[in-house]
Amino acid sequence: MYYVQAISSITHQASFGTDNVFDVLTELEGNAGLISPNYTDYIHPSALRRLSPVLRMGIVAAKDCHAKISAEFDAISVGTALGCLSDTEKFLVTFNKSTGDVISPSAFIQSTHNTISGQISLELKNHSYNMTHTQNNVSFETALIDGMMCCDEGASSVLVGAADEAIGFLENIRSKVIHSSKPFTSGATFFVIGQKKTSVAIVDSVALNSMDNRSSEIDLFLTAHGLDRSAIGYVFTSDGQCMEGFSQHLDFTNYVGLYYTASAFGVHLAHDWLKVRKNHHALVVNEICPGKLGLTLLSSHEV
Amino acid sequence: MSELKEKLKAQIIEQLNLDYLTVAEINDEAPLFGDEGLGLDSIDALEFIVLLDNHYGIKIDDPAGAREVFHSVNSLAAFIESKGK
Amino acid sequence: MEIYISGYGVISALGNNVEETLQSLVSEKSGIKKGTQLHTRRFMVGEVPFSNDELKSTFHLKTAGSRTTLLGMVAAKEAFHGHELIPGVRTGLISGTSVGGMDVSEQEYRRFLVDGMCDLNRFSHHSSGTSTEEIAAEIGPFEFVNTISTACSSAANAIMMGARLIRKGTLDRVIVGGTDSLTSFTISGFRSLMIFDEEWCRPFDESRKGLNLGEGAGYIVLESEKSLLKTKKKPLAKLSGWSNASDAFHQTASSPEGHGAVLSMSKALQVAGIEANQISYINAHGTATPNNDLTESVAFKTVFNDVVPPFSSTKAFTGHTLAACGGIEAVISILSMTEGMLFPNLNHSNNIAEMGLTPVVHCSKNESILHVMSNSFGFGGNNSTLIFSKI
Repeated sequence: MYYVQAISSITHQASFGTDNVFDVLTELEGNAGLISPNYTDYIHPSALRRLSPVLRMGIVAAKDCHAKISAEFDAISVGTALGCLSDTEKFLVTFNKSTGDVISPSAFIQSTHNTISGQISLELKNHSYNMTHTQNNVSFETALIDGMMCCDEGASSVLVGAADEAIGFLENIRSKVIHSSKPFTSGATFFVIGQKKTSVAIVDSVALNSMDNRSSEIDLFLTAHGLDRSAIGYVFTSDGQCMEGFSQHLDFTNYVGLYYTASAFGVHLAHDWLKVRKNHHALVVNEICPGKLGLTLLSSHEV
Repeated sequence: MSELKEKLKAQIIEQLNLDYLTVAEINDEAPLFGDEGLGLDSIDALEFIVLLDNHYGIKIDDPAGAREVFHSVNSLAAFIESKGK
Repeated sequence: MEIYISGYGVISALGNNVEETLQSLVSEKSGIKKGTQLHTRRFMVGEVPFSNDELKSTFHLKTAGSRTTLLGMVAAKEAFHGHELIPGVRTGLISGTSVGGMDVSEQEYRRFLVDGMCDLNRFSHHSSGTSTEEIAAEIGPFEFVNTISTACSSAANAIMMGARLIRKGTLDRVIVGGTDSLTSFTISGFRSLMIFDEEWCRPFDESRKGLNLGEGAGYIVLESEKSLLKTKKKPLAKLSGWSNASDAFHQTASSPEGHGAVLSMSKALQVAGIEANQISYINAHGTATPNNDLTESVAFKTVFNDVVPPFSSTKAFTGHTLAACGGIEAVISILSMTEGMLFPNLNHSNNIAEMGLTPVVHCSKNESILHVMSNSFGFGGNNSTLIFSKI
């Protein structure tokens, strides 16, 4: 069991600073934007000026978690599929349009995928283990698997999270990278796991690169934990498929839109649905990329 | 010179993304780097080199050696003038 | 639980495989020269002398991919050569990359900037995770595939994660390492930071100016002892220690006291269960930037109590291969042990004055090398250390 000590999301839902994100869900409309906090409340303007949307979201969600617990993080594990796209594009434009030998460096230094986790460690002056996983739609699940391993190895407070951002150019390559008509969006979810008992825990997470079919993998995963579909109170899924035998489910991409690591928000939804119900289970199913499956099981307890 | 300094401040704001500052808020003499100044860092020093090249055609090969030039708006303006720009 | 290394593979400017790499190291022949491609020809780089089509035909690669992926396939194939997919041996692939498919994307994006027209299909190779999936498609399939992207420490971190997954019991065998190709993006990036040397780089030298970029891939195969009984592979060495820590000082520069490096080296020694004075050789990160080589030297003195073991940077041989360096240097570290050699820090004339540390300057044989430490430090203050030990 990996007990969730704190959780925070910045998305297209009113998720930040909300006590229960499940209760405030509203279907995503047309061109609704990110619902962001006032970033200057969390980051000094001289640092903020350089930060792209994904960096702002990641740092502030992480700081929000940090403020809620009374310990420093022993490890930080972040998932991001496409990383810092705004800075990547900005630097592509910068060096292609540069005529001389002198090129502006700011976008380059923030284009590496681990800028999110690196900036978190910088802001918090945290010297611990710091990892960034970039495995397309299961980037979050592999970050979580790593975070759980850190707990097994003795860490008592591990920050796990995921963030991705959309840029206009993604629309040009939509059909080449994903077969969905959902709007490309941005989002970040971070949470802290540890051994101190709280009302909701992550039980397990898997990331499968090859599989026979989703249905049998889901059943195998549940069976390994002594459960079947009837034991799951709610499923948070990246689409509505293979839901026979489950009592309730919703597609989280209908609420936060489409970004590869949106299943992290699925975990936030599961957490908030569970925390007001004792002794229940919830499942997060992520097959945003066909044939690549992420599954995360959560449970709630008496404390 | 003061026209150069005003232009320079606007260019600094743009190149370094200091969107929370106005030209009026940048003091001519105040240190630009470090906590007692605007809080600029080594990446900003490189951005200054880009600014000098793009706007004034002045090339700097050694960023470490040029730190004194970037000390304040005054020192920057004096440097630009000394290069006949 | 011991973690054994039962395969290795590498491609870089030094050669197309482990044997060629060893020959270059022994003959002290650097692979860094003036580049041959449109985007590299102005610079001193460690280029792999094959076009993408030549890589595919020479190494019989069947899966399409970016140059980063093709290089990764070559090295991963060599590492996994002689291994088979066996039921009951749960096998994974974890690869580190910072470039991913950018070598392809940047070409198309440039066309897009010029006139809005480009081959959008080619962006399907862009993401880091896809480059690893393409390698997995070439030599797999594998139960678990992951990509780690922490800049220059990526491959080292992939190796570390593989070892931990074996210890946890999730996997029995895992191919780990990293790959990166030369791109205009990274060349322009390091030039913009003014830590790029227009001449042959000089790691740990007082006159060092910056790095030369390189490309390549390096992978090793890790197995548990139980897995070795099933695969019947003869192990080359052990991976005995690992650690990752954050410097948390600046996005691109290391703290003057090398805090993150001190933490990663110290913790790796603890994991290995050995004392600092048992390290026979350090394969340093040694990028030849003014900042890295100074702070890494400071960290050496701290961790080794001023009695620093023989050390060298092999980046004057290969160039800085970014995410791949931890994988390529893992292979070099293993060779150091199996061949009993210390590999030199080329192009060295004068020690860093304030440090007074002299690296190994010539290849030296008949050495008793029991434990090798390998450092890889990435942007964002991401510091990783691996320790390899003789069986």
